[in-house]
Amino acid sequence: MSSMNAKHPRPTYWRSLAELDQDPKFQQMLATEFPEPLDGREMAPGTPARRRFLQIMGASFALGGCRFQEDKLLPFSRRPEGVLPGEPRRFATAMELGGVATGLVVTSYDGRPVKVEGSPLHPTSGGGASSLHQALVLGLYDPDRSEGITRLQGQARVAALPAQFEEFVAAERPNWQSRGSSVRVLSSLSSSPSLAAMKQRFLTAFAGAKWIDYSAVETDNLEAGTTLCFGKPHQAVYQLENARIVLSVHSDVASSTDPAGIVAGRGLARGRVPEGQPMSRVYAVESSLSLIGGIADHRLSMSAGSAKAFLAALDAELSSKLGDAGKGAQPKPAAKFLAEPSIAKFIAALTQDLLANRGAAVLLVGSRLPPEVQALAQRLNVLLDGVGRTVTYHEVPVRERRKDALQALVQDIQAGRVETLLVLGENPVLTAPTDLGFAAALAKVKTSIALSEFEDETALLSSWHVPLAHPLEAWGDSLAHDGTITLAQPLIAPLFGGRSVLELLALLANDPKRDGLEIVRRTHAGSLPNQKAWDRAVHDGFISGTMAAPASVTVGVLPTFALAESELRNGEASNGKLEIVLAPDSKVYDGRFGNSSWLQELPEPLSKQTWGNAVWLSPGTGKALSIADGDLVKVSAAGKELTLPALHVPGQAEGSLRIALGYGRYAAGHVGGLASANVDPVGANAYVLSALGAPFLLSDASITRLDGRQAIASVQDLHAIDAVGQAGIDERRGLLLAEANLEEFQKEPDFAKHLVHHPPLESMWNDPVSYEGHKWGMAIDLNKCTGCSACITACQAENNIPVVGKDSVLMGREMLWLRVDRYFSGSPENPKLSFQPVPCQQCENAPCEQVCPVGATMHSHEGLNDMVYNRCIGTRYCSANCPYKVRRFNYLNFHLDKVEATPFQTVTNKKKLLMHMVFNPEVTVRARGVMEKCTFCVQRIQNVKIKAKNVKRSIADGEIKTACQQTCPASAITFGDLNDPTSLVAKDHALPRAYSILEELNNRPRVRYLARIRNPHPELG
Amino acid sequence: MATLWSETNPYLGAPKGDTDFARITDNVARVAEAAKPPMGWYIAFAIALTMLTGFGASLAWVSWTGIGAWGNMHPVAWGFPIVNFVFWVGIGHAGTLISAILFLLRQTWRTAINRFAEAMTIFAVICAGVFPGVHIGRPWMPYYMFPIPNQMNMWPQFRSPLEWDIFAVGTYFTISLLFWFMGMIPDFATLRDRATTTPRRLIYGIVAMGWRGSSRQWHRYERAYLLLAALATPLVLSVHSVVSFDFATSQAPGWHTTIFPPYFVAGAIFGGFAMVVTLAVPARQFFGLKRLIEIRHLELMNKVILATGMMVGYAYGMEFFIAWYSGNPYEVFVFVNRAFGPYAWAYWTMIACNVLIPQLHWFQKVRTNVWCTLAIGVVINVGMWFERFVIICTSMSRDFMPANWGYFVPSTIDYLTLGGSFGLFFTLFLLFCRFLPMVAIAEVKGAHRDAHANHGGHGGHDHSHAPETA
Repeated sequence: MSSMNAKHPRPTYWRSLAELDQDPKFQQMLATEFPEPLDGREMAPGTPARRRFLQIMGASFALGGCRFQEDKLLPFSRRPEGVLPGEPRRFATAMELGGVATGLVVTSYDGRPVKVEGSPLHPTSGGGASSLHQALVLGLYDPDRSEGITRLQGQARVAALPAQFEEFVAAERPNWQSRGSSVRVLSSLSSSPSLAAMKQRFLTAFAGAKWIDYSAVETDNLEAGTTLCFGKPHQAVYQLENARIVLSVHSDVASSTDPAGIVAGRGLARGRVPEGQPMSRVYAVESSLSLIGGIADHRLSMSAGSAKAFLAALDAELSSKLGDAGKGAQPKPAAKFLAEPSIAKFIAALTQDLLANRGAAVLLVGSRLPPEVQALAQRLNVLLDGVGRTVTYHEVPVRERRKDALQALVQDIQAGRVETLLVLGENPVLTAPTDLGFAAALAKVKTSIALSEFEDETALLSSWHVPLAHPLEAWGDSLAHDGTITLAQPLIAPLFGGRSVLELLALLANDPKRDGLEIVRRTHAGSLPNQKAWDRAVHDGFISGTMAAPASVTVGVLPTFALAESELRNGEASNGKLEIVLAPDSKVYDGRFGNSSWLQELPEPLSKQTWGNAVWLSPGTGKALSIADGDLVKVSAAGKELTLPALHVPGQAEGSLRIALGYGRYAAGHVGGLASANVDPVGANAYVLSALGAPFLLSDASITRLDGRQAIASVQDLHAIDAVGQAGIDERRGLLLAEANLEEFQKEPDFAKHLVHHPPLESMWNDPVSYEGHKWGMAIDLNKCTGCSACITACQAENNIPVVGKDSVLMGREMLWLRVDRYFSGSPENPKLSFQPVPCQQCENAPCEQVCPVGATMHSHEGLNDMVYNRCIGTRYCSANCPYKVRRFNYLNFHLDKVEATPFQTVTNKKKLLMHMVFNPEVTVRARGVMEKCTFCVQRIQNVKIKAKNVKRSIADGEIKTACQQTCPASAITFGDLNDPTSLVAKDHALPRAYSILEELNNRPRVRYLARIRNPHPELG
Repeated sequence: MATLWSETNPYLGAPKGDTDFARITDNVARVAEAAKPPMGWYIAFAIALTMLTGFGASLAWVSWTGIGAWGNMHPVAWGFPIVNFVFWVGIGHAGTLISAILFLLRQTWRTAINRFAEAMTIFAVICAGVFPGVHIGRPWMPYYMFPIPNQMNMWPQFRSPLEWDIFAVGTYFTISLLFWFMGMIPDFATLRDRATTTPRRLIYGIVAMGWRGSSRQWHRYERAYLLLAALATPLVLSVHSVVSFDFATSQAPGWHTTIFPPYFVAGAIFGGFAMVVTLAVPARQFFGLKRLIEIRHLELMNKVILATGMMVGYAYGMEFFIAWYSGNPYEVFVFVNRAFGPYAWAYWTMIACNVLIPQLHWFQKVRTNVWCTLAIGVVINVGMWFERFVIICTSMSRDFMPANWGYFVPSTIDYLTLGGSFGLFFTLFLLFCRFLPMVAIAEVKGAHRDAHANHGGHGGHDHSHAPETA
């Protein structure tokens, strides 16, 4: 090592180890130091393997995971230069979901990544990250990940060594070369330039091979729609911050399933500031509640099937007013549809607003809707002068449509034309439409190679299963939403010897470059010619200036489409006429995150359901079909059936059902369901309803009640509540969650302060502290909050918050420190939705502090309610006396559970130790029997204070960011020093619409909320 | 019933001795002296011991796995354990009330039941005292609540009502124990003097603390007894007032009420007396104490029950009125929710048991009937347990922010712990019945007409005494 140090006296952090693979000495050492345990199935991470784990981590430094210059395996006691043990280091990387990259920054302690955040440098993520991104790090340490290559021998799966696999590949390669047309690749839909290059190499090496871009969720419609409209497929990039009028038609914008959700959330929030600037007005038309439906000033519940008619009506209205009738404009849909006064009024107001705001209006259409609807929306965007202002387009490559590609693949297999099938990072056995018969087809293929992180449903049926490297273990690249080339670097060497898609393809195609890093560098050799440029790009996590150039578009003449009778009715709650919307889940996405306990336990933002899915139906439909909350029901469409519990969700369109995809897995793992270990699936698999022709939007469906009920683990009371409770909620909702219309707000800006009338507040106690130094406070803008719940996962990851499992959630024992309360107001058919994130309010006159008999919760000199875990004996009096009920109690030992109450009950304790790697070393891991709660991320405060003190400077405003604040795409949370009148938080606290909840109790909370202001159209009220 | 146990029950034969005083002594002492208790005692003891085992097992399980083994949840952080605590503390009230307050008020009828009631108090407070220790999340460190000087410089937080509880219940237990023990000293001496075996002589001799029955000893004894009674009297009022502070000083709607201290004290006396009659009826039946614990005594206790039950009923009504009168929406909601929300069943059980059914005691026939007395006593005990359940669980299940609302469902372990605490109580009580003088021999004699033979016609002390053999 010293010689290495001598050679590279000043290692830079971002350097990599290009020559690693070619170093024979290192290869040899790897071979001797890590014989097959890295890949062999017998390796179990645990007490004996814990040491091994540390060795692997040690190796990670060498392997390029953490980019030290050294490339020898050495114990950490020989500290590399410039590295302080225990000092967190942050690295830029990226994650691709749905073909779109999000730039991330990962915090790593001693080579151990513990926290994923959005990269503040990255042009699209801008610091924000969704729950899915943040849960990546838990997935890295998932003990259920494949530990090595397996192959099918007869009916059994047996472990194979990497060398055996490589031998097999070497032996097969001539076959593939000579009979390339028998090779198929089913790859994840990706925008990765390196993958595109590798695809070309692969297709060149194996001439005649076919490549299928697969996605379990809908992606075709957007491209088909833009093709219809502009002649070529385009990606629309919305600038919602420039929009005064936003219309969302069945879109999931701002949700974690939206590839551009973070940008959209940020953009939307910027338009929702009622002070000083004109506030945007949001309209939403949708069959199910969505996040943007929650933001919307006007929301219309409408079945997805009627979306076409709605847009046609809008188009007809607008086109005639804009003098553009006839060029693809649609005839007014049948009078029957417009006869409904609520729809007619809605369209009239919307038309008026859109016309009055040309150049500042935008239409967003959900990907589930058919291409002609997409085309109509883009046509209107262009017509309303949105191009270059609220939306830009850039061209994307033409792709075969999923339906055609899949059908061709299965036909080829059935016809015996396919001998080798590669499945790269996808799980089509679970996610492909059932009428495709993919599983049966897969069994017919002679050689199938499934590259996946888990031995999942597809891997189990494939002749070879190769572990896929986790996104935090591999080099990669991908395009961000705006086209920026985003680089992903590994944070750690593959824990289980996984390979990235690029590396596997390189092996198969006999590419001279086998290392992920080299492959990615080769792709960008042109744009990053030298080491300096490369280092810069890796450091930043993206190649600057690669944003896609906006294309100029011309709208073609759209064909007039016919409207079927069924499309003209806004839903009908009768069996046989129902529609089913199958949507990717905001937590497990298409099912790939099914084994993430953080995500399984994250409350779904709208239904607040954890651990599973349910069929959403409107209370009216439920009543009409006599189905109550929690009833087990059988949903059927086109001869396919699914049994799952029903959930009444206000705002669901009549006659429309919604089921989240991605549940009901039997080979996910010990969290999500694992048949081989008798772990029941979480939720029900809605893919069984999906058909090739109508994968995500089914019509003519039925729902019948079965005997029996199934408890829905919701963290908030369901809609169906007794009359007394409902009256209580109605009475206090307006007191807890201040809301006003813009007009009212302008008349009385401080209305929120006068919601509750109370006598002057006096306290028995003197202030214990005068807050002379810092005085920490937080403000939460209810107007910006989209309810996306990314903050909850951020808090969980930052603060080592345990997962408790479904049974404990049903008992109300979830541990999440930050909850996002959701309230409905108005009618259940068309409710208004409000979110309120509630962390600890850090009261100055804290009721919890007064009642703790052992002084385990104390007031700090900076105004925090500090929890002293060691002192807490668990009387739970603080929780009883907390009016916000933000304190959470460890009823059981949730982190290392000896009584098997939490998930992972069948995972051995040895294996659980791997999960301990995810703990943030800055935060105490609480044992059972102690109370815990939000600390305002005191560890972050202290770290910044120490740093500032060391160099004798003061702390700048915004320097300390709590985890929730940091990740919030909408910047709804501000945090800082209230003693500094110029700080953002002090300014927010001083706003007229700032208020505290339950102020009349004289707790003097340090969290203030900024009241929710709605901006309704005067005529819709 | 008198014949039910006659063949096996040595106590039901005619007491030996000619004089009334001798009969009294014999009546009480032979229970403790019998070589074998009646079969009924064994059966009862076996049941109680089994329940006690359940108590031990449930607490061991809870300590091993965490208090999540109970049904406690968010938001109902205090479930059965605290309900049981308040319930048992309440039961523990009647004893001291009878021994101290009635003593000071010269209510001599109390002598028939005071020993009994004091024992009940001690055991109830023991049962109560278990819960604050085991209900905490880390049951191995309840000593953090005690002001023990330590190297960590940790000190309890005296603003917490839980800390006040420690002192209130601790003081109450100490005084009650002293009071009970001191009252037994002359009787222990009697047992010692009657002892036929060395171990009995030794053990009763030690606990009799050298009692010889001299005038000087009697003089000092009575002084001390009076002083302890005077000391204990405010405790009767203070201990449950302090327990009620746990709730009254908090912010939760349904808890934050100034009526709680008197309401809790009245409820405690109500429940305590109900427990005394519940125990006294079978005890006098099985141990042949009918001549000592007379129907008249039961009737007097029933009158106290009727009076305190009315106070409790008044408090229930007043809570509603004040909630409405305060105009505080959260407060109003809690009470409407109690009566008509998901826990209405518990609320109406409480009302029926505590307010409606005790009204039967207006009828003399009911309150002089041992079976009615027993039945109503049991019903009131159930009702008083539900009162605490209603106060604690319904208030917590729906407090300020609807997002936190939840419905508490007790676990099997909860029921085992609750039942088990009765096991502890009855085990101790049956041991008491077996080995200690169940009735205060000396005091009964003091209240007996023979003690006032030289004061013919003076006072109104117990002249209506007449053997009763129902």
